[in-house]
This record gives sequence, C-alpha cells and structure tokens, in this order.
Amino acid sequence: MHKMENIHQIRYCKKCIIPETRPHTEIGEDGICSGCKYFDQRNNIDWDKRKSELQKIFNKYKNNNNNYDCIIPSSGGKDSTYQVLKVLEFGLKPLVITVTTDMLTPIGRKNIDNLKNKGIDCLEFSPNPVLRKKINKLTLSTVGDLTWTEEVAICCAVTRFSIKMGVPLIIWGENPENENGGPEQNSDFFDDIIQKHDDEWFETFRTNGLKSSDILDFWKKEGIKDIDLQPYTFPDKSEIQKNGTIGIFLGHYLPWDGHKNAEFSIKNGLTTYDKWVEGSIVNYENLDNYQMRVHDYFKFLKYGYDRVSDWSSLAIRRGRMSREEAVELSQTIGGKYPDTYLGKSLEEILDYVGLTKKEFDDVCYKFTNKKIFKKNSDGTLLHDNKGNLIKTNYDNIE
Amino acid sequence: MNNKKIVIIDLEIGNVGSVKRAIHHFGYQTIVSNRHEDINSATHLILPGVGSFDEGMKKIHANRIKEILVEMVKIKNIPILGICLGMQLFATKGYENNKETNGLNIIPGLVKKLKNNTEFKLPHIGWNDVMFKKKNKIFKNILDNSDFYYIHSYEFICQDEVSIIGISNYYHNFTSVVNQNNIYGVQFHPEKSLEQGLQIIKNFLEIQYI
Amino acid sequence: MLKKRIIPTLLFKNNKLVKGINFNSWRTVGSIMQSVRIYKMRKVDELILLDISATNLNKKIDLDLINEVANECFMPLTFGGGVKTIEDISNILKSGADKVCINTASINNLKFIKEACKIFGSQAIVISVDYKKSEAIEIWSNSGQVKSDLVFEDYLKDLESIGVGEIILTSIDKDGTMEGYDIDTIIKVNKFLNIPIIASGGAGNFENMLDLLNSTNVSALAASSIYHFTNKTPLDIKKFLFTKKVPVRL
Repeated sequence: MHKMENIHQIRYCKKCIIPETRPHTEIGEDGICSGCKYFDQRNNIDWDKRKSELQKIFNKYKNNNNNYDCIIPSSGGKDSTYQVLKVLEFGLKPLVITVTTDMLTPIGRKNIDNLKNKGIDCLEFSPNPVLRKKINKLTLSTVGDLTWTEEVAICCAVTRFSIKMGVPLIIWGENPENENGGPEQNSDFFDDIIQKHDDEWFETFRTNGLKSSDILDFWKKEGIKDIDLQPYTFPDKSEIQKNGTIGIFLGHYLPWDGHKNAEFSIKNGLTTYDKWVEGSIVNYENLDNYQMRVHDYFKFLKYGYDRVSDWSSLAIRRGRMSREEAVELSQTIGGKYPDTYLGKSLEEILDYVGLTKKEFDDVCYKFTNKKIFKKNSDGTLLHDNKGNLIKTNYDNIE
Repeated sequence: MNNKKIVIIDLEIGNVGSVKRAIHHFGYQTIVSNRHEDINSATHLILPGVGSFDEGMKKIHANRIKEILVEMVKIKNIPILGICLGMQLFATKGYENNKETNGLNIIPGLVKKLKNNTEFKLPHIGWNDVMFKKKNKIFKNILDNSDFYYIHSYEFICQDEVSIIGISNYYHNFTSVVNQNNIYGVQFHPEKSLEQGLQIIKNFLEIQYI
Repeated sequence: MLKKRIIPTLLFKNNKLVKGINFNSWRTVGSIMQSVRIYKMRKVDELILLDISATNLNKKIDLDLINEVANECFMPLTFGGGVKTIEDISNILKSGADKVCINTASINNLKFIKEACKIFGSQAIVISVDYKKSEAIEIWSNSGQVKSDLVFEDYLKDLESIGVGEIILTSIDKDGTMEGYDIDTIIKVNKFLNIPIIASGGAGNFENMLDLLNSTNVSALAASSIYHFTNKTPLDIKKFLFTKKVPVRL
C-alpha cells in the first residue's frame, strides 16, 4: 500500500512568495511565477491607448433614454468605492448593485452607506439568509468552500438585473487572473470572455466548478425548488445575448493597484479596521464579512498560501516590500488558526454557520493538504503551542 | 465495534486499498494479511480479488492458505465476504484462460466465461442492478434493483439455487450475490459502488456467527 | 441491465487542472482536488484522471495524488499519463486506482500491454487511442504530438486480441470543441471491436449524446469541457437520457 511521502518541498517564486501549489500559478524554469511575469509586462502596456478604448466603450453604452449607463457590482469596499467613483469621473450614471454578504459587519454596512452618500442609486439584494446559511455549511463541508454563495450570488444578481433593467454594460474591477498570477494566456483570455458575459464566463470564472443544480440534487429529498436557488443560477444565455449584456474589467483599462485603491477610497470616506485584520497585513480589505478569515484559512490548508502571501507578493512587485520581509510575515502572521476575525470569536462565527468547533476542526483536517505541512514522528500533523500548522518550508530550499 | 478482527486476505493481486478504506469509513480497523495466525484469529474475513481464477488459486496455494480458509469458514463458521474474483474462488472449479483449475469449493459451483456477443461485450464493465431473490441481512437498508459496479468476464454458476440471493442481467441472468450460512459472495465491487456498496460492507461486518 | 456510464475526465498538467481544444491551447481551469471533491459530491459513475504532460516531460507519476484522490472516492478511478513500465502500473494500482490508462507506451509495444494484461488482469488495463481524420484515420500519441504509422483498425483489433479490457477512443479533431462526438467513427469501431468502448471528444449537447447512444452500443461517454465551461453536470446528462429511455444510473 502506498505510503505518503512525508517531506514535500514547496516551491516558491523567486521574486514574490506565491507557491506553486496555488491553482492558477505556474512557476517557470527560471523560478519566476506567472503573476510576476505578467506584472512586468504591464510596463509594456500603452495605458493611454487602453484608457481611450475605455472611453470608446463608455461612449457606446452611454444611455440617452433615461436609463443607467452601466451596472457596477459593489461591496462598498476599497475596490468598489474606487470603481464607482472612477466611473462617475467619466461622467457615467451607474446603477450600483450590492449583494450583501452573509455575515455583514458594522464596518461593511458603514462602507456601503458611505458609497451611497457619494450620490448614487444602489440596488441592495440579499438572498434568503436562512437558505444561504444552509448552502454555506454544505459547500464548506463537501468542497471546503465557504464563499461559493457570495461569489455566485454577486455574479448572478448583477447579470440578472442587467437583463431585467435593460442595462447591458457591467463594469467589474480587477481581473484576478491578471492580478494574482494566473498564466498570461488566462489573463488575456478572461479579458476576452468576460466581454461575452455568458455562461462560459460564469462557469469558468466564478463557480469553482460547483453548479446550483448540484445543490438542488443534493437536497432533492428536502423539497428545494429551482426558484429557491435562483439567486445562484445564472440567467439563460439567450436572454443575455438578447439584452446584449457585456462585462469589462476596469483593471484592464486602468492600471490596477489594490493598495492605491485603498488610499483613494480612504480619502473618500472608507472606514478601515483599526489595525491589520487578523490573518492579514492590511487593514482595508475584507471588512464586510466575518466569515472571510475562515475562507482564507481553507486556502491555506489546501494550498499553503493566504492573504499574507497575496498582499506581500503584490507589494514586492511594486517595490513596497522586500522578499525577506514577506517570507517573515508569511510565517509570523500567515497561516494561523482563525480564532477571531474583526474581533468576533470563531465560536460565534461557527455558531452562525451551524458547526461545532469539533465539526469545524474535522472539516479543516479533511481539506488539509497533508503533504505541505510538518508532521510528528507518528505521521500526524504537527501543531505549534498555539494550535497552528507549520508548513514544511516557507521559502525555497537551495 | 472494538471486538472485531477484520482480516482482508492478501492475495497480492489487485488493489485492497479501496476495501480497506471502506472498512475504515465505518470506524473499524482492519489488517491485510495472508498469515495463518491472522486468519486464524479473525472474526470476519474478506477475500477480494481482481485477475484470473488460476492466478488467484496460485496465490492461495503459494501462501498455503486454502486449508485454513476452509477450516475457518466451514468449521468455525467465521463470516467471509468474497468480492469479485474472491467470490469466484469459492467455486469448485474455474475455467479461465482455457485451464481447468480447482477452487476452494466452499460453495459448489463452476466459474465460466459470461455469454457474450456484439451487443453484450466483455468484460462486463459498469453499473448494473441487482435483483434480490431473497431477503437477507446483507441487503439491509438497500433498495432492490440498486446498481452496483461490475468489472468481470466470468460468472459463478452456482450449483445450489438456494444459495443464489441476488442476480443481475447481462445478456442473460447471472449470479451476483451468493450466501450459504456464513459465506457471502458478491460479484460486484461494493467498495466502488458508492453508498449502496458501502452498506453491503457495513451489513457484512455486522454479521456475527457463533 | 447494464447502464451507460457518463464519465468526467480530469486532465492535468504540472498538477494544475487543464482543458484544451484539439489537444492545444491548454488553459488552467482549477484545482484537481477541488474538482474531485465536486465529483464525489455528485456521485458520478466513474472518474478518469489523466496527466497529459507526463510522457512528454518524462515526469514521475504522482502516486501521492492518486492516493489522495482514491481516498476521497468510493467510485471507480482510472489513472493515466506517462505509464511506461509494469512497475508503474503496479504502483498506480497500489496507490488506489482501479484501472490504469496507457496511451503512448502502447504504440508499437503490444508485448508490454499483453504482459500487463496477464499480470494485472484485463480489467485493470485501459488503452487510450487518440486519432485524427485525414484521408485515413491517423493515430497520434504523446498527447497529440507524434503521428504513428499504425493502421487504425488493425491496432484496435490487436489490442482486443491481447486482452485489453477497455478502449478510450478520443477524436482529437472534436476534442474541446463541444461540437458533438465523432459518431461515424465510433459506429465503425463498435462494429468490429468486441471490447467496451468509452467515447471521448466533442461532448456538447444532449441531443448529440442521445444520437450516439441510439446509433451504437458504446459503453460510456467521457467528457471534460462541457463540465468546465457550461452549467451541465453528468447528472443533467443522465436525467435527460433517462427521459429518452437510455439505461443510466440515477
């Protein structure tokens, strides 16, 4: 019977600290990851040209019939605030659509309202929270994903309202394939397919493979109907095409920088946390959902990286942090057991989700990629004295 | 739960990992062994197998376990579950690879190639339903006509019809589940048949014979 | 009666889940284990996992991955990619796969396949045959990089005669296009081949799959793109087929 190799060396990018285990990242023979390579190529982009392309799109979709010019999905966070205000600068009249998170924090609510008070029409949509909780618990325990409903609901709602309200242009923020190190072809590809904004885009980009029909089947004995899952079901391709719905990434046309977005948004009233949010090295991201740290922790368990790696890698690329500092942060701040988030205890968060701590720990264990963490001599996972897992290596071993 | 000693007989052919996993799934421990002392002290025996009849019997003879198996099963009445080739090895004789080979002869019968033609190709691979011929402990909590996963080209032709408790159809009806007292055999792979398969294993492990 | 199997194929390259078109333009579509978990949740008939870069990059077979996948699933698992030796097959089976899929190593090496069938049993050996149509049907290996000079019909018949359990027949022309299976070729092959065939390449719409299953006695339909890029799941397909009286496991 095959015995698992106990020691697995995680390979990291030589420039940033993203590991090869990250699903969409490729580290080349030269040891540099696709994210870094793509970032370097941004120097070759003619941003003026891109900006004028954006202007052309805006001119095309400007509505002269008393309707909105575009739809902007927004959480009220640092990126959404930037997106909305930028689009307003171009003289467009957007309909901002906010799909409230499952466990909205007071800061989250404040920021949603802050954006509204900039003078915009906002449509807030909240899927049935009772069902949503159930789905979250299901997706966490079966596929280790607590935020499937969040990703999918935003996407489906925005597309559905584009059709219902006859507003074809949807303006997203960053192309994550571009920003976080997807292979270059993915990045360009996603810029292309988001334009179509059809089911291929949705299935490839947003669902992580899970479909609403899976949820329907799983609970077929419990009387769940199609209409109950409508918030998580993408509209029909024919309706999308009839309406002429298209999507664009603002980050394709204007150079995107999450940190600069934060600075901009803070100047425009964004409330941040009073210190680095637990498990990260910024105080301005993921402030609206208490569950986010659990979500990030699962990324760490599965792939050995989390927000700390993401943010420090973005910072390295922009010359704001040294690699040594990043490695250290990934070890001192990254990968810790999510005992609190934004001041709320894990127990309270789990209580909302509907799991006991033991059930949660069992699920964590199930989704841990055992290969990338240190083990005791008996083969069980090693924990430090605070209950945290320890990766086999936090940097390349020469 | 803790007083079971489940032994998977290691014929060194095929993959016993899935059977092990299925047993662990229910919280039981199991060992994979062909040592006499392990087989001798088992409360439950499982004989899995993938491969040919003659290869299977060769391994049994090579490890000199025929006598002890027969003793455990026929005299000590220890429950045994034969899976796929394992079930076929219970037979009197097998006719694979154009050879006549003696089996364990713990359920009288012969193992012969499944009938086939251009419509019904061999191996018989895939999900096929089992029709329960008799009520039995091994079918507890399983719906009649449930599908199980098969992958075989030979069938067990049981001498005593009374021992046939489940049949499937592929070109013609063939025996898919046998039972004679403490001896159980399934032609399909319960460890690969999702929850209904796991239920078969669970039901088997809950059987006790004195 | 025996049900038709609807099987998702997971392709991976450098440990990333990928999908291409005509064996080209590969793009990453996610994480292998996440996909496996989703298929586990869906209780699919069977799972095929292929490492498409293994042969060309001469990579070691990732036995840990096979073990991890097998640990998740109580359904049959076929693994392929870079399988070259008897020891490879043995290791893959020991790690938890039920069947081993061989492609490139079978070309011009029937002796190896025959030996594998003898040692491990026909049931454990699946040969994957990738083909393109031009004037004749050409067999390509090494993930569609190398053209072989084998004669299509002869090769398939040889595989049958040496004891191979199953054939996966993949149309490179149709692969990733979602334009429909190459029904004509599958019909032709099914007439002269007496071992089960898994059709692969082109799965796109339900009518086409129904057409294929009504035209010929193929054993299973494998697909990949349709599950990554559309909202269709294997169960959706089976539900449709069930309404059209095709025997499937629901």
